[in-house]
Amino acid sequence: MRVKVKPMDCTGCALCELACGFHWDEAFSLISASIMQYRAEEKKDYLGIIVKTEEDLFLGRPEGAEAVKLGELQKGGGGGGASAKPILIREACDMCESVGKDPQCVAICPHDALYVE
Amino acid sequence: MYYGDTLLVNLDTGTTEQFSFDEVGVFGPGLAAGIGLYEKYGDADPLVIGSGLLTGTTAPASCLGFVVGKSPLTGEVAVSPLGLYAGAEVKLSGFAMIVIRGTSDKPVYLWLHDGVADIQDASALWGRDNWETTDAIRQEMGEGLIQVISAGPACEEGSRLASFSIDYWGSGDTAGLGAAMGARKLKAVALRGLGMLDPEDPEAYYEATMEMLAGSPAEPGFGRLSKGLGAGDVDGWLKPMVHRYRSCFACPAACNTFVKYNEPASVLAPDGVDEPGVMVTSAAAALWLMGGGWEAEPACRAMEAMARAGIDQVRGARELAEKPLKDPAGVAAAVSALTGSAAAGWPSSDRVGSGLFGPWVPPLGSPDEWMEAHRLGYLLGICPTYLLTSGIDRGALLGLCGPASGVELDTGRIAEMLP
Ligand code: SF4
Ligand code: SF4
Ligand code: SF4
Repeated sequence: MRVKVKPMDCTGCALCELACGFHWDEAFSLISASIMQYRAEEKKDYLGIIVKTEEDLFLGRPEGAEAVKLGELQKGGGGGGASAKPILIREACDMCESVGKDPQCVAICPHDALYVE
Repeated sequence: MYYGDTLLVNLDTGTTEQFSFDEVGVFGPGLAAGIGLYEKYGDADPLVIGSGLLTGTTAPASCLGFVVGKSPLTGEVAVSPLGLYAGAEVKLSGFAMIVIRGTSDKPVYLWLHDGVADIQDASALWGRDNWETTDAIRQEMGEGLIQVISAGPACEEGSRLASFSIDYWGSGDTAGLGAAMGARKLKAVALRGLGMLDPEDPEAYYEATMEMLAGSPAEPGFGRLSKGLGAGDVDGWLKPMVHRYRSCFACPAACNTFVKYNEPASVLAPDGVDEPGVMVTSAAAALWLMGGGWEAEPACRAMEAMARAGIDQVRGARELAEKPLKDPAGVAAAVSALTGSAAAGWPSSDRVGSGLFGPWVPPLGSPDEWMEAHRLGYLLGICPTYLLTSGIDRGALLGLCGPASGVELDTGRIAEMLP
């Protein structure tokens, strides 16, 4: 079971990032979430969602989704901006088990762009 | 729920100072504090940038920030909105509010990041359009997620149509505060924040916002808005070019409509053309052009041209709509020929805003309801358009202030803070 993404249903609201960050820190920020938007190509409206797990990154790109083993990625990759804390050094998704809740990113997404499978 | 100090920027001397931010206790949160700061430094006719109490959190549509300053159009104090990601980035920038006074002797931009304020030379950016400026600042700083509030060429020239832009997409600055930036030789304010907002009672705040979100409407596009106005089907008009609908920060709705016309809307991979289209952020501009008989594609190209130039898209579109476009190749010439003869406003309404607030938000509800949505929205940082189109429970929203930061607000206090 893992969090998966329907990237073209995503509208880029950042609520999943806030919800995930909150479950780790009990505070709101965009730097600690295990899920993040890739939104560095704003003029092209290119927007994807990346979820980090213990083993891999799930890359929900508009042109297709895939899971990539962590070892196959360059260090510091999957960023989306130089000052964004790179996804590789963030906590891996724990399916929100540490707070005893259902996956909060899925629960908060207003457009059902996230699901568990 | 603010963090960081008040930043005082003096463009005369090229220096900055920081003071502890205690205006919430004195004046109230959000815009009340912003206006309090404006008045405190009123002799210097400053520009004040800030955000609302709940901006940047899981409260629905908590995207809103603002710029307060004297409108060059009216000579009166006016407020322009910071939507998209700009308001949230102000909140997370490490500065609670930013007061900018003076005039630089050369073009500069302000670079605010994680509680650090740098005044950067912008000589090479002067004369460049908002798209070039956003690209150049992001490239210079090596960071694609910087939010750029910029003064395009129309703002530098002090045009009556001047309007600052947020990144590439224009803004709801109907007061000409972009020209107030240009007059100070302030080309842009660039923001990037990795800050953290700590609610006073985190779990109560989070659970209450989750409950509110669960009942919040989330239809993409301008449909709810145009239906509420009894206006035409602007979504259907744009449809063949729509690539995706986009939200402002934390907004369940997604009015902003990204259209592609330089490549098929169906292209998904990022290896296509660099500039495939535009994000339509102004329903009013789209409605004016549609009502004026424009085809959707040249209309979107005109919105792009206005967003690049720093022209208020609403007044620009209204003026363009008076002259149906005969030759689709004439869009750039038509935009260059704009004179600023049209007033701001929405089709089929003679409401033009009220007091501090321009007509960025559609004229839905009674004038009192419209005004109340602005007061609440600008104090808390919630988009007034979302308040008016979502039917969200305003009592529940006010109830968030306690768990957010121990501030108790009710409608009486709100009216005192923002008469
Ligand atoms: S399931 Fe929980 S931990 Fe995993 S990405 Fe979603 S919010 Fe974060
Ligand atoms: S909450 Fe949903 S729509 Fe919003 S950014 Fe995350 S995946 Fe996209
Ligand atoms: S209602 Fe529209 S303009 Fe307002 S925050 Fe949501 S997406 Fe932005």
